[in-house]
Amino acid sequence: MKHSLITLCLIGIVYSQTGLDIAKMVDEKPSPLDMANQTKMVLTNKKGKTRSLSMISRSMDGNKKQISWFLEPKDEKGVAFLKIEHDGKDDEMRMWLPAFKKVRRISSKKKGDAFMGSDLSYEDLSNRELDENEYNRLDDEIVDGKDCYVLEILPKKNAKSSYKKHISWIEKSTLMGVKEESFDKRGVLKKEKEYEFQEMKGYHVIKRVYVKDVQKNHSTEVTFSDVKVDSGIDEKLFQEKNLKRIPRD
Amino acid sequence: MKKLICFIFPITALLGQINYTGSLKPGNMYSLSDQSEISLPFRLAEADVGYSLGDFEIKTNSALEYRWSNNENKFQLREAFLMWYPSWGEVKVGKQIHAWGAVDGNNPTDNLNPYDYYYMFLPGAERKVGTVSGSVKYYWNDWQFEGVFIPEHEGNRMPFGETAFPFDVPSAEPPLLDMEFDSEYGIRIQTTNELGDMSFSYFNGRDRAFDYVAIVAGMPLFSYRKTDVIGFDLVSFIGDVTNRFEVAYFITENDFDLDVMPFTEATYVQYAEQVEYTTSNDIMFSAQLIGSIEGDIEWDYSTNQRQTQTTVPIYNPGMGTPFAAFTDLGLSLGIQSTHLDNALDLKLNTFMDLKDPQFMFGVSTDYSPIDNWKINVSVSKFIGEDGTQFHSMEDFSHVKVGLEYHF
Repeated sequence: MKHSLITLCLIGIVYSQTGLDIAKMVDEKPSPLDMANQTKMVLTNKKGKTRSLSMISRSMDGNKKQISWFLEPKDEKGVAFLKIEHDGKDDEMRMWLPAFKKVRRISSKKKGDAFMGSDLSYEDLSNRELDENEYNRLDDEIVDGKDCYVLEILPKKNAKSSYKKHISWIEKSTLMGVKEESFDKRGVLKKEKEYEFQEMKGYHVIKRVYVKDVQKNHSTEVTFSDVKVDSGIDEKLFQEKNLKRIPRD
Repeated sequence: MKKLICFIFPITALLGQINYTGSLKPGNMYSLSDQSEISLPFRLAEADVGYSLGDFEIKTNSALEYRWSNNENKFQLREAFLMWYPSWGEVKVGKQIHAWGAVDGNNPTDNLNPYDYYYMFLPGAERKVGTVSGSVKYYWNDWQFEGVFIPEHEGNRMPFGETAFPFDVPSAEPPLLDMEFDSEYGIRIQTTNELGDMSFSYFNGRDRAFDYVAIVAGMPLFSYRKTDVIGFDLVSFIGDVTNRFEVAYFITENDFDLDVMPFTEATYVQYAEQVEYTTSNDIMFSAQLIGSIEGDIEWDYSTNQRQTQTTVPIYNPGMGTPFAAFTDLGLSLGIQSTHLDNALDLKLNTFMDLKDPQFMFGVSTDYSPIDNWKINVSVSKFIGEDGTQFHSMEDFSHVKVGLEYHF
């Protein structure tokens, strides 16, 4: 009887969780203080032709500060990108262009622009602010054997999103996104995203992202190697001067 | 001692890291009018080689300049400098190319390096000549403080005697007044605030282009005038539009101890306003307005007398954007887009003189069929009425074809 009551209570709690509650749980999940990795992006077009990009990346504050140095393609080696997200004011994005010997400030407002020609937009690479979206819980689903919450995420007007909505599948046991579908402003499916994670120092750290732009029939696979978390990256790394210097490891 | 050096050297070599990147870029230019080859040198190969150890880095950039018509080749060490990255900023010493200013390419405030007129139509640092200098940059919160010291003046590299070159250049370098120049320096302060990124700069040096500084017995005497440049630049965002603005105020002085000079001091202003907008399908539109305004000219009696005897202009600006030599007011428009999964870059650009009837039109394509290889084709057409600069460049209208391999 006692067990039945506890079970009923738990079921009640689980089912009483709103979309926002789940989004809060995801948001509050511990994340690494900092992360270092080598990133490889493989872009595949509708004819199956591929193009690769590779870069060294460092991030902290849950990706709010990010710096990347391009290694490939060879003609873009040395190009570097710095992004700093600010609360309450516009984000800062800067690029070091070795051919121009210049750090170029670029607009952070066009969130829908593609990142280096990939299927990932700057918005896809940015953190989703909790209060800039509405969250509706849909029926739970099993995806690849993983029990998932399903959330409908509706960006509010102030988010200035290039999407109308997202449907996100979140694994209940890890609270990590398993896959997501993003719809353009007309409400038509634009992107399908898949995520894979690995456990590291008690965190779930992203290992692979696959994004397919279904409208363009074009895809991008991002894989992360040499991943290090909580390695004590100095906040001063996220400064303009460090764009000019590709780190040794 | 020898043993110690032998021991230390391999350790430092192991601890440090050598990095390199480079390209091979064979190509040629053909006249649009008669398809004849335009015989000018170009950079056939380029290499960036660096060595880093701890907070220090040695960087070099070299190029092999080549000319098809006579197989003439020349090695150019364009940059070779030591860079130190202390926690507070960066220090660079050696032959280097600096870049100041906010707009792309035609920067009135960027006068630290001479230009290489052979590469005037190339973008960015490609058109500059490295100068032996030292620079220090200090970062403090949202502020950057930069100082540059140039011990010896260097003038533009001019294509003397090049018949294929589109500008009016003398067949040989004219005799320049032989005198020692002071060293040059510049300071720049940049800050980031709600408006965007803004910078104030000051440069004290000699003109990069020589000009006549006196006329004696009907013969002009040439040298580089002393010029101070006070600059301001701004990068801001208005909605989805990026705005880049730059203005420089020049005070140029004939400080030569000569009896007759065309003027003693003159001022002029150059500005460039650039707006950019990128559409949702990655087409970038840009417009750049470049202007030049003549300011006050200070004379003395003999100057006034001399000026009445010659048709030579009082002075030519020796610094600032080279486009100011074409016109006092010009508009450059550009469209850039990528296609075929970023394998094809298309660029259209035009430069219109808003005062005189002359304009330039260009279209260029970069196609990368496989990774690290590119084929480029570009066409440039100059049109102008009699007496305009672009009229004299009409025969220089050309098609350029090239192949690039990057490693």
